[in-house]
Amino acid sequence: MKIRIVLLFLAIFPLSALAQEQKMTAAEMASFKKSVNEVSQKIKSLSTDFVQYKHMDFLAKDIETSGKMNFKEPNVLAWQYKKPYSYSIIFKNGKILINDEGKKSAVDMGNSKIFAKINKLIVGSVSGNLFDDKEFDITYLKVKGQNVTRLNPKDAALKKYIKQIELTFDKEDFTVVQVRLLESSEDYTRIVLKNKTINAKIDDSVFNH
Amino acid sequence: MQRSTILCLTTSLFFLALVSCGSSKVTAGYVEKPLTTTVYDVLYFSDLQTDYVYKANIAIYGNALTGIFIAKKINDKTHRVVFTTEFGNKLIDCEISPTDFKVNAIVPELDRKIIVNTLREDFRLLLREQFVVQKQFEDTENTIYQSADGKNSNYLFFSKKAKKLVKIVNASPRKEKINLSFTSEKDIFAEDITIKHYNIKLTIVLHYFKP
Repeated sequence: MKIRIVLLFLAIFPLSALAQEQKMTAAEMASFKKSVNEVSQKIKSLSTDFVQYKHMDFLAKDIETSGKMNFKEPNVLAWQYKKPYSYSIIFKNGKILINDEGKKSAVDMGNSKIFAKINKLIVGSVSGNLFDDKEFDITYLKVKGQNVTRLNPKDAALKKYIKQIELTFDKEDFTVVQVRLLESSEDYTRIVLKNKTINAKIDDSVFNH
Repeated sequence: MQRSTILCLTTSLFFLALVSCGSSKVTAGYVEKPLTTTVYDVLYFSDLQTDYVYKANIAIYGNALTGIFIAKKINDKTHRVVFTTEFGNKLIDCEISPTDFKVNAIVPELDRKIIVNTLREDFRLLLREQFVVQKQFEDTENTIYQSADGKNSNYLFFSKKAKKLVKIVNASPRKEKINLSFTSEKDIFAEDITIKHYNIKLTIVLHYFKP
């Protein structure tokens, strides 16, 4: 009898594991996209703490870095690492401003399509507004009750850097809570966004280096 | 009198030049001693359990490049080495041993023969664990172990006071090519490493951070 129960459990368990990841129905997808678009259109500014985990299969532990991210419309973005080192990268007026432990530099991204795409991608990842079917093959899923989108870049140049972007959304407010950038099946970067503030005033000095 | 002084000086300089040609510049001022060991073990990247993770700053011909340098010993002879941006994108991912080198992934910007070859030689020297010693030199501060490396030699500087390996110099018989310096609290781990090239304008600075 006990063996039967165990066998029954083993038979059901893989199914329940699979059932944790389901494709959204057409109706769910339409409703989800509408909610995310409404929320992201209302975002004029966004400030959040983040923890970044670089996972590589051969390492014993993920490499953890953390800091703060600030975004202001239309597309000014400051990504600032505070631990274990001080490093900030600011996307502003077609330029990338870098401050590495006090050493400052600037790169003009005017002619670089790939940088423009990466900028759009980061802003889109944080606001959630990345539903561009021309740029990505998109899968809409429900994973453990959360809404998840998986975006595979179509652009050949972008593909060389990123295989897939996975965005996980908050159940309540439809903002992004986690970004996972896959380079291969084994290696990815997972960024968890915490303590989010939307549309609070952000001092301009945050976007100067 | 003046002429004889000049003649004497010229002769001295000539002999000095001859002596300099006879031995490497790296060991100039040092006294050769009998060998105390035939193999020198470098332990800075030798532990199979440790993820060696460093913040990397690279200066190349006036340009700056920063990122994260990761090395891990994956078997007796081989290290996996990955260099990523701060965001985590891999720039180069390779496996390296004293005899083999395999690139798993590389971004197009770095995929040039001269860059790959330079990185391969730097990583190989940095991660190498055993050096066969042919000659030994000393002064009051350091013991130098000289180990042949093709046409060149590696000179390992062991600080007598700190009791640690502080520098490896790769040099041809005529001049220094690469200088690797280590700052470490213990002799099994280096907190700060600088790799400086003399034949090209390239310096790599690595600063450890706990993963």
